[in-house]
Amino acid sequence: MASHDVRDMLNLPSEGAGHRPAKKQKTSAPRPNLKGLAREVQSLGGDNPIAIVPEISTFKKRRFGSRKPTARWEMRSFQNSARGDCSLHLRHWRKQTDGRRSRASSQPQQDGNTPGDVGMGTQSESEKLDDSGFAKFNVQVDVPQYSEDQYNSNLVSNDWTKHETDYLIELARTYDLRWPLIWDRYEYTPHLSASTADGEGVDVTDPNTAVVPAPHVRNLEDLKRRYYEVAAKMMAVQKPVQYMTQAEFALHEVMANFDPDSETRRKKFALNALSRSPDEAREEEHLLIEVRRIVARQEKLNQERRELYNRLDYPHTEQDISTFKSSAGLQTLLQNMMNIDKSKKRKSLMDANGMNTPASAHPSGGPPGSTPVSESRRESIAASIGGHRDSIGGGERPERPSKKGASQPERKKLSEQEEQIYGVAHYDRLPSGPTFRYERINKILTTKSHAQHQRITNTLTELDIPTRLNMPTRPVVEEMEKLLNAINILLDIRKINDKVDAEIKVEQAKKAERERASVAQAQAQTKSEDTDSSREDKKSDQTVTNGAGAAANDEVSGHPHERTNREGTSTNGATAEAMQIDGAGESSLVKQETGDDKAARPGSSGAHKRSASDLSSVSDNSAKRQKK
Amino acid sequence: MASQQPLPNSQPPMDVYGGDEVSALVLDAGYCHTRAGFAGEDVPKSVLPSFYGSLKSTNTDSTTASYRDIFGDECLIPRPDFEIKNYMSRSESVVEDWDAATKMWEHMLIKRLQPEKETPPSNNGLNDPAEDGEGNVAMDDVENQERPLAENPLLMTEAPWNSGKAREKAIEIVMENWGCPAFWMSRTPVCAAFAAGKASALVIDVGGANTSVTAIHDGLVLKRSIQKSPIGGLWLSSQIRTMWANSDPRVDIVPSYMVENKTPVDAGAPAQARLRKFPFEFTPSFRHYEEERLLTEFKESVVEVWRGPGRYSNPGNEELVKSQPGRVFEMPDGANQMWREQRYRIAEGMWDEAAALPTPDAEVKIQTIPELIKAALSNVDVDLRPNLLANVVVTGGTSLLNGFNDRLNNELMAMYPGMKIKLHAAGLTTERRFGAWIGGSILASLGTFHQMWISRKEYEENGAGIVEKRCK
Ligand SMILES: Nc1ncnc2c1ncn2[C@@H]1O[C@H](COP(=O)(O)OP(=O)(O)OP(=O)(O)O)[C@@H](O)[C@H]1O
Ligand SMILES: [Mg+2]
Repeated sequence: MASHDVRDMLNLPSEGAGHRPAKKQKTSAPRPNLKGLAREVQSLGGDNPIAIVPEISTFKKRRFGSRKPTARWEMRSFQNSARGDCSLHLRHWRKQTDGRRSRASSQPQQDGNTPGDVGMGTQSESEKLDDSGFAKFNVQVDVPQYSEDQYNSNLVSNDWTKHETDYLIELARTYDLRWPLIWDRYEYTPHLSASTADGEGVDVTDPNTAVVPAPHVRNLEDLKRRYYEVAAKMMAVQKPVQYMTQAEFALHEVMANFDPDSETRRKKFALNALSRSPDEAREEEHLLIEVRRIVARQEKLNQERRELYNRLDYPHTEQDISTFKSSAGLQTLLQNMMNIDKSKKRKSLMDANGMNTPASAHPSGGPPGSTPVSESRRESIAASIGGHRDSIGGGERPERPSKKGASQPERKKLSEQEEQIYGVAHYDRLPSGPTFRYERINKILTTKSHAQHQRITNTLTELDIPTRLNMPTRPVVEEMEKLLNAINILLDIRKINDKVDAEIKVEQAKKAERERASVAQAQAQTKSEDTDSSREDKKSDQTVTNGAGAAANDEVSGHPHERTNREGTSTNGATAEAMQIDGAGESSLVKQETGDDKAARPGSSGAHKRSASDLSSVSDNSAKRQKK
Repeated sequence: MASQQPLPNSQPPMDVYGGDEVSALVLDAGYCHTRAGFAGEDVPKSVLPSFYGSLKSTNTDSTTASYRDIFGDECLIPRPDFEIKNYMSRSESVVEDWDAATKMWEHMLIKRLQPEKETPPSNNGLNDPAEDGEGNVAMDDVENQERPLAENPLLMTEAPWNSGKAREKAIEIVMENWGCPAFWMSRTPVCAAFAAGKASALVIDVGGANTSVTAIHDGLVLKRSIQKSPIGGLWLSSQIRTMWANSDPRVDIVPSYMVENKTPVDAGAPAQARLRKFPFEFTPSFRHYEEERLLTEFKESVVEVWRGPGRYSNPGNEELVKSQPGRVFEMPDGANQMWREQRYRIAEGMWDEAAALPTPDAEVKIQTIPELIKAALSNVDVDLRPNLLANVVVTGGTSLLNGFNDRLNNELMAMYPGMKIKLHAAGLTTERRFGAWIGGSILASLGTFHQMWISRKEYEENGAGIVEKRCK
């Protein structure tokens, strides 16, 4: 408690300005100019300031020494040009400027005495009045405007009268397009009497409204829809769509495509989100946290996977890796790599080696080569994956398998059109290293037997197509592949056709023989054992032909196409049909044959697989035939 | 204060503080208090109870009685034939008695806020024979003066449900009687939101006569959201009365003015006090007003809101409270008592309808605060609700109850789980009690507000209807 506080309390007259500076002095370190007062004496006071303080002569000097004229303030009138009327002259304190000093004294009095005619009295000096610095903040929104004619030609609506539209636009202006407010204050009452004034407008829009004014309950979306409709149309009227600038057009599009239904739906969603029970909210929060965690973990996982891939991404070797498949081979590989490792002083290879082992099981085709994987090559490929792959657009460059693409989400996604332009193609699996496209064609041909090859080339020459492509662009190669496949199929079918023809001939020959035999039987009417044995013969014959069929199928096995299967089935059917010609009496035989067929097939070729549906369709057929 | 920076004499930094004061006055009338002061200040200069005294003086021939209105808390003292009235309506918090309102406002705006004008000694009152001076409004002066407020624009607040007619009446008084150069009418929740620095907010105003919940969007009231309920300070007082009347032993309300001296007694013991003797009868309204003072004191110091979560009536809560220290309240007559679990029951009716004690005057269903909030929000566009919940402004004197904000927060969290809820309640008592006034003070001192005022000329050209057109 300071002494002046005590004085205050005791109502003693204060000492004047003396003790306040003293207190100030005390808190700061005692200054050397406290002469005449020993420090001990001063410290006697303890926390309380000592009232006896040598007068600081500079204090007063400073105060009165630099005496500048005090700033003069005046109560000055001003106006605000943002106001509609400009008649309101409010007054605030402003620093006096020289020019005004003369007026300053008279002004307040004048205003005080005749406040009523401030407006008129100061009319002459209104140009001299300051404008408020805040006037510039008054901005208005632009709302669409339309004339009577424009309304009638563009904006007529069944749902909205002109009067109500006017009302809406007016509200929008009043509330500066703040929709929640517009909706909140929307209290439209359809008018009757005034409708005679703009009678045509009302009549044109809806004659009923003039008679039965039905007040709509409009929701916010209705209001927005109407407003945007009007605004978009008037925008288009003032400036046809094709002349609009980008921004204007975008605005126009947004307004023209306002969809109140989706808004309503969105609000419903929001409402549901708001009216959740605490449990639901908690659960959702829980799920959200979970999702966030999963996403975070996913990111980490992706990162790790990418790293792993970078490591794993050994170049698909062109050479035979079978030497490394034995444990001894692996040992030597490890030795090799260790050597390289040592020479390059790289550490990370040890674990990369471990990765390499499972990867060596990866299928890798291609002609056998010579050297083992070289370190530098590994590096370059890893770099090419980690680096800017998106710059490689050309179709010439084979893309990596898609799993790499997934691990690089940052790559720019090309649209379909762009992909076509740049010739980007996606493959499931590609051999590494460059390949020639015509090699692919050659491969198809060279894998065939010589006879087949010959036949294919024959067909090609028949079709007037050179075996070697002159211009192996991708589409050409693709078409060529398709063509070759077709030719293959064609050849297969031809072969089967030939075989079936041959079979028919055999059967016909047999039939002729049998007829002869039956004729002989009829003639002779002798031992039935004979026929039995002949039947036996026929059966064994059948198995032989079946075996041939299976062999034929075997040849097709290189291309396990569904279509070939179908073809096979239908040929079977055809065979059966041919059999049926033989006569109803033979049905049991036919059945037996199909049964044989079934039994024979699985054993006949491992690669050729018949789908179950095909089988069942066959048995269906046989059942039908049995009925007959 | 040598260290104080000298005020810069140049242009005021307009870009930082958008103020530009034009010596406007701000008037905020509530049912319990009327607040008036200068725009730009942070508390109203003059706060008077909206209750005023009406003194009946019988003329010499004792046939006609004339009434003299007396304003100001210090004048509401024991007198014979003294009625206490309120110019506001109890149910609506809007002006009911316009004559009294005019006098009250004149008393505050002109007598209390304006500097004394020099009057010739003949009628400055000093030379008159002695009269009982207190509260004697120098009405004649006011009337003599043509336009006492000709230099001060006036901003007035009103309840958001105020009728158009009442607003027109207000502008008439302001323009015709006092000659203000400009006028504006603003709604209390909007002002309260401004005081909290918000243009959009959900304002919960727990005042004297009413509690209202209003959504504000961009400085304008969303009319459909306005909700009000009589659970305010006076309702709480009636809860206390019921509780005291029903408690055993019954607690008598003895207002301070009746006690001449008292002797301390133990807690729960009957009071030992000598009551003052008055040679006249008191009107019931005076007694009621004086009792209300006592009840307000009790509300401020004892009543506590159960903070939640959950209701106070949930099992276990009362036991918990009983185990905690209570509060002692001493009546003016010396009787004192420890209040433990009862003090939580009083305000529980604001939150839990079933917990409200029966009051004689409230047969109508009262809406609890959570119900009000729910109803207000459901009448607002869905898109605004999250923002409103993140900007809940709490204002009004009764919101100063202990634990009020905690409970409100808990209730909101329970009602809208998963939403971000933020309460803005001023920490200072004055800011909470004068929230609406402070907002009005801010508004009226803004430079950008100059363009809003309804000028005298506009009023003269358009008539009183302009207030409806302009003050949306
Ligand atoms: N600290 C406090 N604790 C509890 N209640 C209080 C406190 N201070 C004031 N009150 C109560 O607040 C009420 C007054 O609040 P306020 O001044 O906001 O009302 P008002 O604005 O005049 O009324 P209304 O807004 O209803 O017209 C009184 O009933 C008083 O008892
Ligand atoms: Mg209030």
